[in-house]
Amino acid sequence: MKWKMKAPGVVPVLAAGMLFGAAQAPAAPQHFERHFAVNGRPVVVIQNVANGRIEVKSWKNSEVVVAASQASNKISIDTEQAGARIDVTATIADNAAPAGDLEANFQLTVPEETELQLRTQTGLVYVEQVMGDMTLQSVAGEIHLKEVSGYIVVRTTVGSLVCTQCAGKLDFNSISGNAQVLQPGLTSVTLFTMTGNILYDGDFIRTGIYTMKSGKGTVEVHFSGNDSFDLKAQTATGTVDNQAEAYLKPDSHGVRHMASKFTKGLFGTVGSGLAKVELSSYSGTIRILKRD
Amino acid sequence: MQCKEVEVVLEQHGFVPVPEAARTHLAGCRSCQGLVADLTAIVATAHLLPAEIEPPPRVWASLRAQLEEEGIIKDAAARGVWWQRFPELFRTRVLATAGVGLLIVAAVVLQVRPPASRPTEARNTYENYDDTSMTLSNDEAHLPSMQLAGISKVDVALRQNLDIVDKFIVDCEQRVKEQPGDELARDYLSGAYQQKAQLLSVMMEREGGVY
Repeated sequence: MKWKMKAPGVVPVLAAGMLFGAAQAPAAPQHFERHFAVNGRPVVVIQNVANGRIEVKSWKNSEVVVAASQASNKISIDTEQAGARIDVTATIADNAAPAGDLEANFQLTVPEETELQLRTQTGLVYVEQVMGDMTLQSVAGEIHLKEVSGYIVVRTTVGSLVCTQCAGKLDFNSISGNAQVLQPGLTSVTLFTMTGNILYDGDFIRTGIYTMKSGKGTVEVHFSGNDSFDLKAQTATGTVDNQAEAYLKPDSHGVRHMASKFTKGLFGTVGSGLAKVELSSYSGTIRILKRD
Repeated sequence: MQCKEVEVVLEQHGFVPVPEAARTHLAGCRSCQGLVADLTAIVATAHLLPAEIEPPPRVWASLRAQLEEEGIIKDAAARGVWWQRFPELFRTRVLATAGVGLLIVAAVVLQVRPPASRPTEARNTYENYDDTSMTLSNDEAHLPSMQLAGISKVDVALRQNLDIVDKFIVDCEQRVKEQPGDELARDYLSGAYQQKAQLLSVMMEREGGVY
């Protein structure tokens, strides 16, 4: 079944506007909430052209609840359900509206196993305790993830990522956003930022592959004494700050690595070298240290 | 030996003659016998196919005339100035976005190129970078004026980041020019081109009201 609805509340506000000459009056905030029954693992897509935050939390019910508040009627919110797919789209109805009127915040409650595709301009994107693949895009908003798992793709221009207790695979790409990965259970990590900083504080899962690159920022890794990984750290014009010399041994697999004549590099093995860790920075600092 | 292993042996060593290692298994396995029979039939049929034939020039001439008649392609005189209309193409958002998409692909191709091992290869690679850089700069020059004048937080952030990317590209290009063998710098330069292409795409989409 496929159906479409406009956010309720728009009509009364417009009617009131006509009655009282609201063309001159400040826009009134609006709120709506919709419930969608779903079977299995739903896919929730939010396209938010406006500014504002998106918050996603999970529950044990087979139902998706979308709650939205908007600063004015200058934004149109459409929702649509097609089977297990739920689309929420916020579009600007009046391009001439002041920035303050173009704000829409979303609060989602979804089943624990849900796939997400969220896109917004500014404002925080917060996802907690959701299992499923997710693509999260923001120009200037921060992205905070807590206890999520799946194939997680994050794209920002300015926004930073904080990923706490995430599991699965993480792919982050940003121009000036930072990335912090804390207490992860990730088997694959690809982080790239042009000018932001990267902090990875947690264990490296055996057989995991971890690539972290920053053009001009710092790449900092805090590992534990029980970790087992091969390390390759390289910089073109930056520096490598090795604060874990006691734990880093020459490569134990018989492969002799050497930095090219154009780069400064650090190669070695911690433990048995089961995971693979590649760090690089074009002109920033790479720092490796063991957690206390 | 198992059926899967036989497949691997046949793939690696061929089946004329059947490798020694697979013979014993084949003797008692109907499924693998069928596989070898199928492969033999395919090869035999392939040998019977004629070589590719180049169509005669009159076919091309006729095809061109037909396309010109239907207005699908223009005559030679008009073709001479096609490039002068190129910027006009980019005034529509869809084509602009598609153009940026193509650039992303080009940048990806550049990134997966094997490292230049000889000076001539390194030079060629740098020339390719030069082309990419120029194309991206052209796209940047055609950014809609609305986007360049926007005062919203997002527009400002996008412009600031475009500036960041441009500066980083200049830095990396300089490094690659001086040290063509620096793989790391080339890697970062490719990444920067991709990010610029994506950023331009976002900026053009915003102007088009897709968001």
